[in-house]
Amino acid sequence: MVTVTVNVNGEPRTASVPPETTLLRLLREQFNLTGAKLGCDVGDCGACTVMVDGKSVNSCLMLAGQADGRDVLTIEGLATLERLHPLQEAFEQLGSLQCGFCGPGILMSAKALLDENPDPSEQDIRDALAGNLCRCTGYIKMIEAIQGVARADGARPAPKSA
Amino acid sequence: MKAFEVVAARDARHAVALLAEHTPTAKVKVIAGGTDLLADLKFASASHAPDVVVDISRAEDLRTIAVTGGGLSIGALVTHTEIMASPAIREMFPALVDAAHTIGAVQTRNLGTLGGNLVTAVPSVDSGPTLVALDAQVTVLGPGGERRMPLAEFFVGPRRTALKPDELLVEILIPTENLGKPACFLKFGLRKGQALALVNVAASFWVDAKTQTFRAPRVALGAVAPKVIHATSAEAYLEGRAIAPEAMAEAGRLAVGDAKPISDFRASAEYRKHLIAVLTRRALEGAYDVWQKKQSPAGRAR
Amino acid sequence: MDKKSAVIEKQARLQEVEALLKAPAAAPLAPLPREVLVPEARQQTPAVRQRATRPDGRLHGLGQTKYIDDYYLPGMLYAKIKRAGIASARILRIDTSEALKMPGVMAVITGKDVPCNSFGPSLKDQPVLADERVFHAGDGVAAVAAVTEQIAAEALEKITVEYEPIRPVLDPLESLQLETPGLHAPNPNIYGHKVIRKGDVEKGFAQSYRIFEGSYRTQMVEHVPLEPHASVATWDANGRVTIYSTLGRITLGRADISRTIGVPMSRVRVIATVVGGNFGGKNEITTEPVLALLAKKTGRPVKCTFTRPEEFLASTTRHPLVMDYKTGVTKEGKILARQIRLVLDGGAYCSWSETTLGKACILSAGPYQIDNLYAEAFVVYTNKTMTGAMRGFGAPQVCFAYESQMDDMAKALGIDPLQIRLTNALREGSLSPTSQKLHSVVVRETLLQAAQRFGWNEDGGGNGAQS
Ligand SMILES: Cc1cc2nc3c(=O)[nH]c(=O)nc-3n(C[C@H](O)[C@H](O)[C@H](O)COP(=O)(O)OP(=O)(O)OC[C@H]3O[C@@H](n4cnc5c(N)ncnc54)[C@H](O)[C@@H]3O)c2cc1C
Repeated sequence: MVTVTVNVNGEPRTASVPPETTLLRLLREQFNLTGAKLGCDVGDCGACTVMVDGKSVNSCLMLAGQADGRDVLTIEGLATLERLHPLQEAFEQLGSLQCGFCGPGILMSAKALLDENPDPSEQDIRDALAGNLCRCTGYIKMIEAIQGVARADGARPAPKSA
Repeated sequence: MKAFEVVAARDARHAVALLAEHTPTAKVKVIAGGTDLLADLKFASASHAPDVVVDISRAEDLRTIAVTGGGLSIGALVTHTEIMASPAIREMFPALVDAAHTIGAVQTRNLGTLGGNLVTAVPSVDSGPTLVALDAQVTVLGPGGERRMPLAEFFVGPRRTALKPDELLVEILIPTENLGKPACFLKFGLRKGQALALVNVAASFWVDAKTQTFRAPRVALGAVAPKVIHATSAEAYLEGRAIAPEAMAEAGRLAVGDAKPISDFRASAEYRKHLIAVLTRRALEGAYDVWQKKQSPAGRAR
Repeated sequence: MDKKSAVIEKQARLQEVEALLKAPAAAPLAPLPREVLVPEARQQTPAVRQRATRPDGRLHGLGQTKYIDDYYLPGMLYAKIKRAGIASARILRIDTSEALKMPGVMAVITGKDVPCNSFGPSLKDQPVLADERVFHAGDGVAAVAAVTEQIAAEALEKITVEYEPIRPVLDPLESLQLETPGLHAPNPNIYGHKVIRKGDVEKGFAQSYRIFEGSYRTQMVEHVPLEPHASVATWDANGRVTIYSTLGRITLGRADISRTIGVPMSRVRVIATVVGGNFGGKNEITTEPVLALLAKKTGRPVKCTFTRPEEFLASTTRHPLVMDYKTGVTKEGKILARQIRLVLDGGAYCSWSETTLGKACILSAGPYQIDNLYAEAFVVYTNKTMTGAMRGFGAPQVCFAYESQMDDMAKALGIDPLQIRLTNALREGSLSPTSQKLHSVVVRETLLQAAQRFGWNEDGGGNGAQS
């Protein structure tokens, strides 16, 4: 067993787990944070995306021990009690998610993108979502939502609609 | 995933010591970013799994990018994202940035390391062709000290390298004489995002400014042989030849003969041959573009 | 009021009430000719062009929607299924003793433990766990319940199965041959058949300027819902089983669960949870009976979540089709006759093949006016992952065939590919292959608008011979 302490959504949490435990299982099974999903378990689908030290990662491909002492942000850490994260609000308003299973991962990828690049082009957004599979939506409404949030941040005037 | 023990290394030397300690008695594996290793182990049978995993993800000394006396040195633990962000690499080798950009997706590139990519050594390894085309060397650290070899020889076959079980890949070095050598990397997958290469190609050459001829041309091909290969007949053909579209197209045709592509569920050998010719020509054109941009005052100013 | 009249009055009132309560045995017949309400084309719904938001959108975005894999019941065990890994074989022996000895393993079952080992949405040809015969590599042959998923997975490796391999039938055309031994003998390999006949194809071919023949094939496709199949089974003290499942059709599933585990339907409760993508792939049960049996044996709730490889191997997929098209046309490209043979690769079990067969056959002529048509479709067993429902039920496959042939014909005749489609497109009031009169038909309008929007005529695209 290894003892792992991670700073999850701003709160230090500790658990003792077998060394082969992935960060995903640590979050889901030890900390009851079931927002990150197990979709493929090999890094293809992105449903398990969380941010570690500010970078998005496949939590199914990281050992819990490798996250020891690091900052982990999950979907549960995006909203506060008072207010949704602007991305969550935009996704809700545009109906960007359908079955919703890919949603937490997509939102974390979008958040990681906007943190690094507040003014992404459509191509930047597509590139940022390349590691997140969605089988329902066709991505368009997600891309619109992310563009909308980027613009609302005052990054640039709205481009002419296509 | 089967149970295993994890031992964490502080730095490269510590990692080698841990390997020396455990390899005689146990099945040992190194983990860096884990994007290949864990994906492999998830559905592997118990007999295939390691007993001990040496975690090098915190060995900071393996994470540097620096121009040294020997050339451009990239630590084995540098991630694909870090390669894309490195000012030195962006300036000298945009082809390496392009190659890193084609690997997986953001999440995989944030975790996956250059060392892990090369050690996994699949024939389609996307960091391979550009580095081979730039005559990169690798440094390997073992109980007996360091040894160095060309990357082209480090690759031995599909998923096989010259690395011994108790050795660590520590550094990838692009020699001084090749710093800034114009290069271009192209990958053709079934999709733009997150797809393995059907064929990947890198081309690199110096331009003899006076005669406008190819000097030290290199063409490296991936996914069309058991390992990344030099297209030797294309290279020999181009050496000293005048730079012209027809020469690039002919080099593409010759490169087809240097490869031994297979047919699999992703593509037929015939289709791969077609891709080799087209991509080789385009990669040569791309490398020439890089050279021309460097000549123009605007290009230099950037 | 005297007693007698009170009784009479009461009876009269009762009769009144009864008459009110009693529904007529059949709805009164509508007068003929029937008046048919025909909606105006493109004006049926105000929903078009509107933003559709969802009431569950907020919880999705917050990561608070609970899918099965997010559920944990106290004391819950985890099940794993041992997959055959061989396409066709007789099972000689299954040894589970080593697995049972492992600490943490609570129960192991095989097909012998299943009270009624067959199910399916139409034909009951699928075993819950294969017992005598393996029909495809994804067949389950044993199931383990253990305290962790990891132990359950390791226990699978301790189970040994002795097989006598049988030559698998992998090609649907081979399966179609009468001399090919029946996979599910004594039943024949052809387990569904449909014919549509309209006009006289021979006459149509005789009048044709040219006859084109082509064979088209499509591959197997997996739905790949982001959420893998998952379910949890738990029993209560009164002998009732509750199954939480990612099932799209719970009433049908309930009947199959009840049948296979031998418990009356009144004692089976199926709770459909939020489904993380279905696309037709979650329309029937998979491991629910296994979990119910394991839960009963151990007295604890049991969960099973498919791995991604299992999703490909052991859930339904889209039917691959072999489609032979013979089409006679005039010089101008007007179709005079079309003869079609479809062979659906049904995989190991029937599943929703009958629906797919029907729809593929009806739609195989395409959105074109064809007066002389003969379409015949077969679905056959092969030793492959079973095929079932998937978005369109056969429509995308036949579309690939008829549109490919349209292009082939346009090219050979030197006609613009758009024009040949406009020439043949169904119109208002056209009859479908099964003689249904069609309303709000806008095939031509749609094609013309699409062509205009993506500039079909602008950059030489209109020159059919080159496209
Ligand atoms: C979804 C997905 C998409 C991908 N797409 C691509 C792609 O498009 N192109 C591509 O080329 N690759 C791709 N990969 C593969 C993978 O991401 C890369 O190969 C990555 O660079 C591996 O690095 P890592 O640090 O994660 O390696 P790890 O998984 O940590 O290690 C890989 C192997 O190398 C060994 N190893 C690692 N570092 C060292 C060292 N310093 N010394 C000795 N041995 C070492 C390990 O023991 C292991 O055997 C993809 C992977 C995933 C999951």
